Amino acid sequence: MAESEFIRRTGGEDWVPYWAAARAHELRFQRCLDCGAWRHPPGPLCPQCRSSRSEWAKASGRARLLSWVVVHPPVLPAWKDRVPYPVVLVACDEGVRTIGGILGIGAEALRMDMPLVVDFAPSPDGDLVPHWRPA
Amino acid sequence: MSLRDRAAIVGIGQLPFSKNIGRPEEVTALEAALLALDDAGLRPSDIDGMTKWSIQPTSENVIARNLGVPNLRFFGEVGYGGGGGCGVVGHAAAAIAAGMARCVLLYRSRNRGSGGRPWAGTSRERDNIAAETNETALFSPYGFVRPVDQVAMFARRFLHERGYTTRHLGWIAAACRRHAANNPVAMMREPITVEDHERSRFISDPLRLLDCCLETDGAAAVIVAAADMARDLRQKPAYIMAASQGMGPRNWIMNNFFKDPFLESPGAYAARDLWRMAGVGPKDVHVAQLYDAFTPLVLGSLEEYGFCAPGEAGAFVEDHGLEVGGRLPTNTSGGSLSEAYVHGINLIIEAARQIRGTSVNQVAGAKLSLVTSGNMVPTGALLLRGD
Repeated sequence: MAESEFIRRTGGEDWVPYWAAARAHELRFQRCLDCGAWRHPPGPLCPQCRSSRSEWAKASGRARLLSWVVVHPPVLPAWKDRVPYPVVLVACDEGVRTIGGILGIGAEALRMDMPLVVDFAPSPDGDLVPHWRPA
Repeated sequence: MSLRDRAAIVGIGQLPFSKNIGRPEEVTALEAALLALDDAGLRPSDIDGMTKWSIQPTSENVIARNLGVPNLRFFGEVGYGGGGGCGVVGHAAAAIAAGMARCVLLYRSRNRGSGGRPWAGTSRERDNIAAETNETALFSPYGFVRPVDQVAMFARRFLHERGYTTRHLGWIAAACRRHAANNPVAMMREPITVEDHERSRFISDPLRLLDCCLETDGAAAVIVAAADMARDLRQKPAYIMAASQGMGPRNWIMNNFFKDPFLESPGAYAARDLWRMAGVGPKDVHVAQLYDAFTPLVLGSLEEYGFCAPGEAGAFVEDHGLEVGGRLPTNTSGGSLSEAYVHGINLIIEAARQIRGTSVNQVAGAKLSLVTSGNMVPTGALLLRGD
């Protein structure tokens, strides 16, 4: 498997709209067209009502910080020049959680439950992916 | 119907752990199987079932045809890497209780010490990760792919909500190392202190080098036999008093961040069913092997298996609670942190040794011996009983 494929491997077909939206500077999550429940990570059925009908709805982009790590070596070659780098887990206002990078603040200043807003920045392969910054 | 006490661990075998075992995983699995057969006093023709970890690359037919096993009438496997081990034993016991087998061999051989990790600049296991599941690398665009990162993400929130510190993690690492110091086959035997832990370098802050298990080349095998057969064999049987598995809701492998409550692991579910089947509780357990690929998993298991209330695991480990002589001697061969990391088969073997009375850190009079599997993934647990 080529290095670039490893970077881009992101959970399979269900995830394609998530990454496509990010390239267009949008945060979108899957939402059930029948009961309206948001879900993420995405999947073929709504776990609330079992409907297979869904849309990719635009999210508010607001979240709070649930946890974070700071990655130190050893890492994959694509990230070698970035270490140490933080990765955050956020709880979005829609009730779903997702992982992202953090912008505009050093890891040492992060605080549990601080409010964040979405932004977009490139992953090592140049594609825009969702990141977060202090609200 | 229950599988309680219907089967026992009757044979154990393991090769010396190392960073480079020098032989393919197929060969070392066979060697471990022969050791386990010899330990039990059984012949290959006695084996009529096999169970395995699904990520074990050597399949049952390879083992069976090379050992000269005439027929397997039961075979199956359990997924989820280090979450699978107790389930591999549990499925063997279930097959025996259901009359589908009498004598089941299970095995794990893994060349991870020499085989390399993708983040260590080697590529072989990258393809294995791809083959295992997409779920382990959901967030690869962020460089968030290593098991240590995924555990660290859980751990920071867990420490925060419970009021634990990284020093509590250090107590776990130090306890495992203290036990490993007496174990001639442990890979790391030099004693460490909590201060050594706090000085070790970050791998994924808040987790440090000494929070991580050991990349190992290892091979081991276990034989589970029907209770009536076990009584006539060479070793003292370690009866399988209870076996359970658990997954919990909305499970994602390693990235298990999407269920509620956030801090609850699949272990909470495995624990509930284990104690129900066993008819005993955590207070009755004499010795435990708690899955320790990373130190925070042990803190979680102490809570979820009921050895202490949420928030009290820090004081438990600080009070030398995990050491021989403490409240719950744990990982008495050194565990994944200091003996070897082979997806927990060494923990299962050590649990059986405690029942036999042959551990290098023997708990006097141990009659109830607990083992758990990895709780960042669908998991399992076993309670072994002596006579």
